[in-house]
Amino acid sequence: MMDPSVKTRIPSDGEPSRILAYWSPDDVVAVWNNLAKGGTEIERAPQSPGAAHLRAAWLGPPSAPRLRRVAPLEQVDGYGVFTFPYGPISMGVPEAGRFDVRTYGERVLDISPEVGFKARRILSSVAGLTIEDAALRIERLAGPFSAAHVSAFLAATESAAGRGISAREAWIRALAQELQRIYNHIHVVARVAEAASQNVGLAQAHALAEDVLRLMGSTFGHRWLFGAFLPGGPPTRLGPDDRVALAGTLGRLSKEFERLWSTFQTSRTFLDRIQTTCGVSREETLRWGAVGPTLRATGVAWDDRLRSPVPPYTDLFLPLATESSGDALGRVLVRVLEVRSSFLLLEQMLERWPASGSTQLPASEAIAPGRGVARVESPSGDLVYDVSVHDGRVGRVSARTASDANWPLFALGMRDAVFTDFHFAWESFGILFAETDR
Amino acid sequence: MIHVPSWLQLAWERGILTTKYPFEPARPEEVSPAGVGPVPTSPLDQLTDAPARCPTGAITLDAVDQGKCVRCARCLGAGFAFTGPVESSEARRGDLVWAGGRPGAQTNDGPLADLGRSIHVYLVDVGSCMACNLEVLALSNPYYDSQRLGIFFTNSPRHADVLVVVGVPTEEMVEPVRRAYEALPAPKAVIAVGACAIGGGVFAGNPGLKGALEQVIPVDRFVPGCPPPPVAILHAILATMGRSRTPPGGR
Repeated sequence: MMDPSVKTRIPSDGEPSRILAYWSPDDVVAVWNNLAKGGTEIERAPQSPGAAHLRAAWLGPPSAPRLRRVAPLEQVDGYGVFTFPYGPISMGVPEAGRFDVRTYGERVLDISPEVGFKARRILSSVAGLTIEDAALRIERLAGPFSAAHVSAFLAATESAAGRGISAREAWIRALAQELQRIYNHIHVVARVAEAASQNVGLAQAHALAEDVLRLMGSTFGHRWLFGAFLPGGPPTRLGPDDRVALAGTLGRLSKEFERLWSTFQTSRTFLDRIQTTCGVSREETLRWGAVGPTLRATGVAWDDRLRSPVPPYTDLFLPLATESSGDALGRVLVRVLEVRSSFLLLEQMLERWPASGSTQLPASEAIAPGRGVARVESPSGDLVYDVSVHDGRVGRVSARTASDANWPLFALGMRDAVFTDFHFAWESFGILFAETDR
Repeated sequence: MIHVPSWLQLAWERGILTTKYPFEPARPEEVSPAGVGPVPTSPLDQLTDAPARCPTGAITLDAVDQGKCVRCARCLGAGFAFTGPVESSEARRGDLVWAGGRPGAQTNDGPLADLGRSIHVYLVDVGSCMACNLEVLALSNPYYDSQRLGIFFTNSPRHADVLVVVGVPTEEMVEPVRRAYEALPAPKAVIAVGACAIGGGVFAGNPGLKGALEQVIPVDRFVPGCPPPPVAILHAILATMGRSRTPPGGR
């Protein structure tokens, strides 16, 4: 159930509620929608100075989805200062997207991400579909975050319809989300290692990520969890014997991850390369509404799994991972801590798995007749879906993804960096063009 | 006592992880159940419930179009099973339409057979969810180790022999992918990886999308799946080199 007090809740670290993550989910989506339509006013302005910052920051082109752009810091010009386009096709960023990089020699004066190259018009295309057909498209919005997206979408439709789900179903969703979080975080470690030319570490991290993909494939029938929560999806293997085997495999992977990370920690080459690289301050993450590891790496203790918990997170122990440096190392360290906490969550889940035919959870509160919202902590941070449902069919769908929220921090982190820092920055933020080009 | 550097020790202790494919068939753990196509378990024309269940129109009472199939598994309750071959890529789009739901003879001769043992690959995303991208890039991890087969990723289309394209082509990516294709030196080949690149997948018909990669640039190989598993992509690349029928033990 959505906690209406979230909007005004003051985080335990004493920071005022200035960022989008602290707002209630419907406020987040309302603000985002209004700005995406070209508006400059907040329809339901939360009592938060963050809204003013967001208005000031909205400098993108008129077509949705739009990108919050950080205003150029330096308007210097002259010999040696030039802007070069990077993308939309490049091997450095294996996605269709572009950056305009303004440089003076190696120094990056400013960087402007450009989205929209792979806009697939997914959210507008699901209007009128059944929830199951719409979910087939939503889970293919961003493959590496499919469990988070489809969980948030389904939870929003359930909220809109006033329908609860069984405890077992909620646990299956959480299990899948934690497995996918482990995969994504290990993948980020691998990509950062690749940028640092740590080739043995890269190979070992990629192998571990492949192990997790295979585990998801054998457990949910699909390596990317497509269809895992939908009726008639691929065959799952979550019986008693399967869970024992799953726990054993997770225990082995946890040990291998610890071994891998302890080896990374002995590599000064790796640590030196990412320490102080592309840092953002706590003030900046709060001002620009960062979410996920980007936010937590600056010492702000926010995680949807703890701040807006839904079952089974309400019943499990989850240590909150934070760092204070705000640089690429800090973001990697938060992800490493979260791999550990996800293994711990999975261990608890498998020990206390609800019996089949277990209790029905109460329905989440709808924010209006036929309209519901839900938020989920995706691997890169807070993800919010706002869905209206009429006669069992999807009406309007809006979303604010973690990538939407974190773009400005990437641009800020790259200021005054050198271009060779680009890949450390890009990978450590965990942004996907696919999440914005929806 | 000899001090062994920790990285070497780590790699040594994990041992050799690399698949024996293509010298041996792919192992079950290398391909998840939904990594292969659905095949009818009884005569297709008797499975009258299946076409209505299929969200992409891949199933009719006459044939199954593997190029449209997104492996959603809805047909599993209507007389289908995920038992298709993992080596399912085809040189002609029409060959992915399996009459009676059964695969026909496969075309393996590739346009780059004369290039010898080494080939360079350039990955292009024209509108994907990132899953296909990551399955293609997985070929360089130790489990698949495409370099042992002379398959290398390159950072420029100028250095590439093969364009591996993922995603449903958007209007915005038409010009960039055409330019990338033109930048490849001849002889060259294009592999469309995944249902989106083949025909739009679940997004077929959305405004602003071209629908199929072959409407934008010539395609030499179609790899079905959503996404296809790395082994299927590896097979497709080998097929463009005319090497998919590698004899056991051969290199």
